[in-house]
Amino acid sequence: MTATQIRFLALLRREINRFLKIKRQTVGAPMLETFLYISVFGAALGSRIDKLHGIDYVVFIIPGLIMMAWAMNAFSNNASSILQQKFQRSIDDQLSSPATPLELLLAFSLGGFLRGMTVSTLTFVAASILVDVPVEHVLVVIPALFLVGFFFAQLGVLIGVRAEQFDDVSFAQTFVLQPLIFLGGVFYSATLLPEPFETITHFNPVYYMIGLVRYGFLGFTEQNVALSLVLLSLATLALFAVNLRLFVSGYKLRA
Amino acid sequence: MAFEVTAPAEGSTAEASLPAALRIRDLVKRYPTGTEALRGVSLDVAPGELFGLLGPNGAGKSTLIHCVTGLALPTSGTIEVFGHDAIRHAGRARELVGLAQQDLNLDWFLTVEETLDYHGGYFGMPRRERRARVTELLETFSLTEKRDERTRTLSGGMKRRLVLARALMHRPRLLILDEPTAGVDVELRLELWHYVQRVRDEGTTILLTTHYLEEAEQLCDRIAFIANGEIVAEGTSASLAEQFGVSGLEDAYLEIVGRKELSRARMSAE
Repeated sequence: MTATQIRFLALLRREINRFLKIKRQTVGAPMLETFLYISVFGAALGSRIDKLHGIDYVVFIIPGLIMMAWAMNAFSNNASSILQQKFQRSIDDQLSSPATPLELLLAFSLGGFLRGMTVSTLTFVAASILVDVPVEHVLVVIPALFLVGFFFAQLGVLIGVRAEQFDDVSFAQTFVLQPLIFLGGVFYSATLLPEPFETITHFNPVYYMIGLVRYGFLGFTEQNVALSLVLLSLATLALFAVNLRLFVSGYKLRA
Repeated sequence: MAFEVTAPAEGSTAEASLPAALRIRDLVKRYPTGTEALRGVSLDVAPGELFGLLGPNGAGKSTLIHCVTGLALPTSGTIEVFGHDAIRHAGRARELVGLAQQDLNLDWFLTVEETLDYHGGYFGMPRRERRARVTELLETFSLTEKRDERTRTLSGGMKRRLVLARALMHRPRLLILDEPTAGVDVELRLELWHYVQRVRDEGTTILLTTHYLEEAEQLCDRIAFIANGEIVAEGTSASLAEQFGVSGLEDAYLEIVGRKELSRARMSAE
């Protein structure tokens, strides 16, 4: 193993170790949250709701919940991890090491990405025990979820780097991300919304992410799948490029 | 024992064959607020030397250290660590530097052992080498019994020892100690001095910043005074005293900071 590989693994191990050490908060709580969503919206309310586009309501919402779990965990992990390390100044240990900006960015990104993957995989397994969750297009589900995970991992890094206090992270999470995700159609189909809300939903990028993931699982979508995949890839790449630029310039990391 | 040369002549043979452990030229650091923390600092630290950097709060000591270790990005100037450019091609230079900061900047999530192990990993040390080095350092710094405890549970003295152990983990050739004894009790200060001398005896070059003049006097081969972002005097303790026509380093320091009325020698004479 080369020195670069050892270094990158150490940086990544630190990120994984952090969320595993507080797994009740980082894995257990999101699992419970998703279970509650399935119970309340799926089992309790769902039994009163007719099928959506010919799909049982509880099954209809599960792809969105899996995506939401990945997105929120990837985001919050990275934003919190970076901010905590900046706060303690323990990040100086990584910053004064020979690690390149690219190595640092990838390691920070993958920490949240892997946490999101863990939670959403467990969500999928738990949901599959409760109801029959189909996977119609596995070749869409996997790239779509990976792209969504990486996109929100990048967003978490961006907010973590920019943040100066914990309030900055919770503001982004509560007032920006959560509304975008909830209003992106996790719990409903946008076609059910009255105007102008249906049109407004089309300006929400999360709407297309949910559409992609839902298509992969259920074979149903309201969007153009290929176009959504291309746009999501471009958005993820753009965000990655912005973050790399921040790491190279040392923005809010190096004085 | 003191290294008497301030800066080798440009392009000299000696310079080419034996690069300075640290060579800084015309270093300027201007913050976005407009504050100029360093104003053209030039400095040479010879291999194996224990070099002291003294100055009042806000003089630029920590900024200089941050520029050397990549925690701050210089506005202009050059920094070389054993001949390696520490600004444009920082990777190789950083491999050679160990930093123990004034703040106890330990990762709360990690245990004592993990703190050292990850640090070794960041510097590319293979696992077997890391394990051996961790055991050795835990023993040296009397932290073996605490190896599985999280860093936040340690006492202040233990944290201070761990910060120093972490800086030494990857066997740096240049060790930078930023106020290592600030706020510690007498016992720990003496203990840390002992560690520093031991590291130095093993051939490691050390750059030490401190507020304690007796510490600099006792430990350092050469000393530089920094004030308002500039090196204002440099030499051995004795030569600095001679230069200012005073009896010791403390009086030389007071001359530099413009507070010679505080001189103990002057007060007792009066």
